Amino acid sequence: MPLLDAEVKEEVARRLGTLTGPVRLVMFTQEIECEYCSETRQLVQEVADLSAHVTATVYDLVADSARADELGVDKIPAIAVIGERDYGIRFYGIPSGYEFTSLLAAMETAAAGEVDLAQATLETLSRLSTPVHMQVFVTPTCPYCPQAVVLAHKMAVASPMVQSDMISAQEFPHLAMKYQVMGVPRTVINEVTHIEGAADEPVVLEKLREALRARREEQ
Amino acid sequence: MISPEPTGGDRPVQAYDLMILGGGPAGLTAAIYAGRARVQTRVLGGTLPGGQPSRTAEVDNYPGFPDGVGGGELAQRFTAQAERFGAEIVPEMATEVDFSERPFRIRSARSQYRAGAVIVATGAVPRPLGIPGEEEFYGRGVSSCATCDGFFYQDREVVVVGGGDAAIDEALFLTKFARTVTVIHRRDTLRATEIYREQAFANPKIGFIWDSVVEEVLGDKTVTGVRVHNLKNGDTSMIRTDGVFVYIGMEPQSDLFVGQLELDPSGYVLSNARQHTNVPGVFVAGDVQDPNYRQVVIAAGTGAIAAMEAERYLGKYP
Repeated sequence: MPLLDAEVKEEVARRLGTLTGPVRLVMFTQEIECEYCSETRQLVQEVADLSAHVTATVYDLVADSARADELGVDKIPAIAVIGERDYGIRFYGIPSGYEFTSLLAAMETAAAGEVDLAQATLETLSRLSTPVHMQVFVTPTCPYCPQAVVLAHKMAVASPMVQSDMISAQEFPHLAMKYQVMGVPRTVINEVTHIEGAADEPVVLEKLREALRARREEQ
Repeated sequence: MISPEPTGGDRPVQAYDLMILGGGPAGLTAAIYAGRARVQTRVLGGTLPGGQPSRTAEVDNYPGFPDGVGGGELAQRFTAQAERFGAEIVPEMATEVDFSERPFRIRSARSQYRAGAVIVATGAVPRPLGIPGEEEFYGRGVSSCATCDGFFYQDREVVVVGGGDAAIDEALFLTKFARTVTVIHRRDTLRATEIYREQAFANPKIGFIWDSVVEEVLGDKTVTGVRVHNLKNGDTSMIRTDGVFVYIGMEPQSDLFVGQLELDPSGYVLSNARQHTNVPGVFVAGDVQDPNYRQVVIAAGTGAIAAMEAERYLGKYP
């Protein structure tokens, strides 16, 4: 049973037809697959089949731990969306429902390798000297969530210091618990600041700066 | 609130015949009509792609869907139809407008635009209760989006504040997850459509607290309860709850147009029957101008009118 129906396949093929460079979908599962691992694997393969620009590789989190470490992948199902280089775009949990849009957007962004962010955002990101980790918690039924995910992924592409994760709250309940997620989207930056809801770019930028200030004060 | 940076100043100006502010049923219907008229159009979709249907579990009163349609699916269908006719829909939100002279000027966080005509279709946003604890616990037990956040309340207790269609629709939706759903309503009858009332009264998970308002959201790390005031007998009581879903109505998203367009005292953009605002060349459609009905089908209808009027205007003043 394919996950994508004919109508969706046609639309995805059309969108991926405009990719401006190669994209690799690097997926992690394990021998005894997790609840959504096999579906995620199937989704990645179905998407890759729709474009000559896209390749899919499937790794085992345990057997291929060196590759997982290299990409900083610590849980499954995971997808790293890689363009000319690894920009730090990650999906933890199946990008289904509204999040399928985020996956397509991430592929477009990774293929292009450049992003349309405001000058102020690009300047702040270009000055980063320490790593920034953005974790965007989502549910597949949240229409506001892709905006938060797409913005975080664009920030990852704009700076080698940024890694941005989409995290499906229902597949990683321990993380949802740890970060007290009871509403989505919730973006956690460097463990210290968080944003409720789909905030506009200047608001996210300000929260990012707040996280950087908090780190400086800590040191 | 965090004050945003000065915006949009760093990009070259992009020029369009028509700019549509808002990507819900009104804006997307306008985009379908404008696209078919070959008017060069950009839609600033805002924070909720597809607009309010996206946050509605099920839409049962939009004609053409005899079995009902998921709100998200309906929104996606609107979007796909607008794109088919060439609309450029971008996930931006207008942050500044200048309608004092033509071409009109619009800025977003990352772009600046000039437009020969504008359709304002920015919609409405959930009205907050405006009580202590509400903002503090937003995202930690307070929510206005059951479709987004219902999942977090599996086998827990929630309250829904309100008694209209949205409140009851979402209360019904939340029974899929929550152990109990208590509807707190300021009157002694529901305002919701009969079919919703029947379903709510028949659902064993749903209870009601009548004639009451929520005065405070209580909690420590997350919500633990609400303080409820009975308007009839004056009693105050504490209700234990894990979540508070607020559906007390919507307010027009029109702050941006204060001083630019004529608004009514509640903030709705004023228009004539042909969706003209007081500024020639600026049209309005959907919930931002509709204090009365707020239906998808009506938003779509006013969007079509606004687009046809904008085409006529652009023909006269290219």
